[in-house]
Amino acid sequence: MKWWMRPLVRLLAAILLPLFVPAIITGALWALPGDPASIICPPGACDGGEALAARWDLDQGPLHYYSVWMSNAATGDFGRSWTLMSGSPVYDEIVASIPYTAMLVGLALVPLMFGTLMAALGWLPKSLDYLWQLVGLLPAVILALLVAAYVTITWGATFGDWRPVALRLVLGGLVLGVADGALAGAVMGTRSVFEEEVKQRYVQIALLRGESVLSNALPNVLPAMIGQMRGRVLHVLSGAVVVEVVVGIPGLGKLLWDGTLKQDFGFVLAATFVFAMFSGALMFTQALSEIAVALYVRRSPRGVLAEVQP
Amino acid sequence: MTRRTNRLPWLVVALLLLGGLIVTGMWAPEFVDPPILENVAKDEYGTTVGGLGFFQVPGAWLGTNEYGVPLHQFAAQGASIVALPAAIAGMLVMALATLSGLVRCADVPWLDTVLQVFGELTGALPRMVVVVVVSLLLPYDYKYLLPIALVWAVLASPAAMDEAAASAGRLGGARFVEALRAHGFSATRIYLYHVVWMNLRPVIVRQGAEVMMQVVFLEIALSYLALASNSPSFTHAENMHSWAELLYLGYSAFLGREMGHALIASLILVAITAVMAQSFRFAARAR
Repeated sequence: MKWWMRPLVRLLAAILLPLFVPAIITGALWALPGDPASIICPPGACDGGEALAARWDLDQGPLHYYSVWMSNAATGDFGRSWTLMSGSPVYDEIVASIPYTAMLVGLALVPLMFGTLMAALGWLPKSLDYLWQLVGLLPAVILALLVAAYVTITWGATFGDWRPVALRLVLGGLVLGVADGALAGAVMGTRSVFEEEVKQRYVQIALLRGESVLSNALPNVLPAMIGQMRGRVLHVLSGAVVVEVVVGIPGLGKLLWDGTLKQDFGFVLAATFVFAMFSGALMFTQALSEIAVALYVRRSPRGVLAEVQP
Repeated sequence: MTRRTNRLPWLVVALLLLGGLIVTGMWAPEFVDPPILENVAKDEYGTTVGGLGFFQVPGAWLGTNEYGVPLHQFAAQGASIVALPAAIAGMLVMALATLSGLVRCADVPWLDTVLQVFGELTGALPRMVVVVVVSLLLPYDYKYLLPIALVWAVLASPAAMDEAAASAGRLGGARFVEALRAHGFSATRIYLYHVVWMNLRPVIVRQGAEVMMQVVFLEIALSYLALASNSPSFTHAENMHSWAELLYLGYSAFLGREMGHALIASLILVAITAVMAQSFRFAARAR
């Protein structure tokens, strides 16, 4: 396989992902038994279903609905809630929820980055691997439950105070950072990549020259490390759905879950679209960095020599 | 002197736990017992404050809930919900990982590329987001754990496939097969014995066991979220009780209810699942 194949596939997938995800959900919505409009207006429970379907663009089939939804989404209009908050704009809720999820993911990345860095520098002894693995066996739902219990017992039903909210975010982030093998994966994944690279002759020769392992091996391990990091962010985003609901953080995952329970396709479409955008952005970043690293590694020997022997 | 890895005890433990899970699931009652209000914990005013603990009621060795229903019936029903879907999901991941490893050794570049593109696309979205949306889109008659577990397995397969392909690549890929052919071994023996059994087994079994464990935890998470939202679960019928229900009951122990035994029971079940997965991993590790 040519070196540019993978980045190219990633670039294409990154661009198509936010288009495909709403398309699949819209298609599936029409494939379900019954009329989509009957979710908003169940027959027998409310009148004027046809007028409602026309007003919500549900009367002309999935293609029309999808094209209208996508063109509106491009202008920042995600439509209105179907059932969860009937009629209220989805955009406001989505925008309000994104900072919570972003903070949660950011906090979860702290232990992960720490583990990655320590493993890359070789500062974490291998004997501790069993500890990371043991902690990693704990499912996020159980740790999140303990966090929820701790915050509830400590703060009760306090309203208007930022401290329980902050505590939920910090502890939720910590849960995401260590549970379900996240930290173990970061430490052991990084170490295995570096250990493989250190066996290469060029690294051994660099060591004999008195240079560091990191500066020599980094350009070559960077694509693998970026790939691992993308996987970890996706893993954290996946867990965020559970942690947000259990701990009570009003983020994007909780919105998705609430929308799912109420069959609110307005929220589900918008939330999955945002998740797809974010996943696409991660994939795009990975593809670009892979291309950059590949071009750097494939530079002409003259350029590399000029750098080594100025 | 080489030290031989003793894998048999781990294999025995793993198979015993898996067998126990499946047998418990098969023996699970279709409906739990009706409430018996004598089998509950009460305070000095006669108000119910929780369930009775381990072995406090004859025949209810895991204790009871706050209606006097034996919790071991919940545990058995929970096992019946997860056992088969988890095993099938694990096997699906093992099959896909095996395929990926074999393709790398068979030197079929176009299929290798197809599998890598498949991996890129399926691993692009957060798994839980996909699972939640799939749960929503499943027709009512299919709202069971198996389809969700299969989706999870497909989403988890890229990592397993990548690792299996990398292992096969480190082995030498097509050159390894060629070398063995030169020794006169048949294709079946080379691929199934030398490649899969001797070399890919640790990766394949570990990934399969991990997905099996993840599916059990996924069921607990989805059912817990549904319970917390006071909604029916996507993973089982309403007459069934998931292990998440033990966890949910156990949570009330933090709020002063006498349900600590339910929390301990649910944690033991989670631990058993984790030990089972780890035992499979150790049983299949390389020498």
